[in-house]
Amino acid sequence: MIQLFHITKSFEGAFALTDISLKIDKGEFLFITGPSGAGKSTLLNIIFGSEQPTEGQIILDGRNYFKIPRSEVAILRRRIGFVFQDFKLLPARTVFDNVALSLKVMGVGPREVRNRVLRMLSFVKLQHRANFKAMSLSGGEQQRVAIARALVKEPAIILADEPTGNLDPALSIETLELFKEVNSRGTTVVVASHDKNLIERFGRRVVRLEDGRLASDGR
Amino acid sequence: MAGSLKGANIFYIFSDAVRSIRENLATTVLTALTLGFSLSIFAVFVFVFFNMRSVINSWGDRTQIVAYVLDSTEAPQAMRDAIMRVPGVSSAEFVSREKALGELKEELKGHEAILEGVDENPLPASFEIRVAGSYKDPAVLTTVAERLKAIPWVEDVQYSREWVEKLSAFFRFIELVALFIGVFLAGATIFIISNTIRLTVYARREEIEIMSLVGASDSFIRVPFFIEGVLQGIIGGLLALAILAGGRLLLLSKIPPYFSFVVSSPVPVPLLALILVGTGVVMGVAGCLISMGRFLKA
Ligand SMILES: Nc1ncnc2c1ncn2[C@@H]1O[C@H](COP(=O)(O)OP(=O)(O)O)[C@@H](O)[C@H]1O
Ligand SMILES: [Mg+2]
Repeated sequence: MIQLFHITKSFEGAFALTDISLKIDKGEFLFITGPSGAGKSTLLNIIFGSEQPTEGQIILDGRNYFKIPRSEVAILRRRIGFVFQDFKLLPARTVFDNVALSLKVMGVGPREVRNRVLRMLSFVKLQHRANFKAMSLSGGEQQRVAIARALVKEPAIILADEPTGNLDPALSIETLELFKEVNSRGTTVVVASHDKNLIERFGRRVVRLEDGRLASDGR
Repeated sequence: MAGSLKGANIFYIFSDAVRSIRENLATTVLTALTLGFSLSIFAVFVFVFFNMRSVINSWGDRTQIVAYVLDSTEAPQAMRDAIMRVPGVSSAEFVSREKALGELKEELKGHEAILEGVDENPLPASFEIRVAGSYKDPAVLTTVAERLKAIPWVEDVQYSREWVEKLSAFFRFIELVALFIGVFLAGATIFIISNTIRLTVYARREEIEIMSLVGASDSFIRVPFFIEGVLQGIIGGLLALAILAGGRLLLLSKIPPYFSFVVSSPVPVPLLALILVGTGVVMGVAGCLISMGRFLKA
């Protein structure tokens, strides 16, 4: 469902990714790991269409992209739930509004938005925070808002960039259990993480990047 | 299609615009105030310019040529018709010999002795003639005068080209100054408004970015800003109208009545309101959309 062919990305001459080829099947659960600066975020951003590769090609749902046309970026993004490393929440809006935003942009009706957002908030154990402003929440809570916003639209693909970076071990495990549950319903999940213990615990396919190159790919 | 704005979207867009205006009340008010003051300053300039212009027009409309005629040859009405046919003549008023004498006597009141011994009326009949647009182009006056002289029953033609030329030069000077001030003011107005709007949009670039990241189409992002621009424009335009009305009332009580024409509107008030609000809306919307364009390209 997601296929990368010889993807290279350079920022002003410095290579963040070099010749990455990768195939991710529909419904797969996969970790991308590697030391800080290895290119994990860059790889997710390229799949999401918020970075353009310098070279190489991407196939998403059988469609071949080099550059995703601007008119299709919005549609693509509605099918991908992205958990950003820095959350990218609207700080002055409530938790409810932040999560609701990703449904509203798809034109989902108000009643359905309300039902789905509240259900998702209880799923991430934040129902008591629904009417709090995002900026008043702790880092871990904000992270769960970001996760709820990505999951609420029931996307075909979840891309999560260090989604447990701000969570204590217990919450990290809970969060990944959540992804596992979504994955068991057919959603493709790609998690970038450098948390060895966590990755080992879940025993899924692990793609390791080192210095922008594919170092290993194993189950 | 990414640009679809159907059903629930319309609902969100309006409720979001209202919410967004509430959240950004300070900047919305600031922008509306800026629009209101800038527009009213520009409108005052336009008023003064048009009112000055109509004053100058009325100066230029005074009698410019006097043609002395032999009134025994033709009937006054026939002569008038002939004069009116000369290109450039906008009006011609007949002054009979009797009327000329009466006016002279009036002027000499108290010194009637001068006219003693004058049995017969020595004054010729004449026409007082106005030439349209001569204060813009004094050469027209000469051309008309030449043509009048060529008429057989016209004895003599008198006109003061010097006065008209001075008036013309003065008018051109005023127009030039007004053009400078106008261009400067328009530039300053646009600069101030576009900067205010750019700042307000810049303050919300994060919101624009996040909306785009969660899959909002460009139109979904733009429409609330568009609605805000329209509202700011309407408020700004009405504010300008209020400032102008208030300023006019204040001035009317301070200046002599014969000067009050300076603060009268050159167009009917409803039209003025429409122009101000329309300009406000166009500036508000254009400003918002142009500033946003930069953030949406990413
Ligand atoms: N926008 C950018 N401009 C310049 N260099 C960048 C940019 N984004 C990432 N990089 C560089 O690319 C490399 C990979 O970064 P990143 O993908 O964030 O790594 P990771 O997520 O694995 O820590 C790093 O050396 C980083 O400095
Ligand atoms: Mg990273």
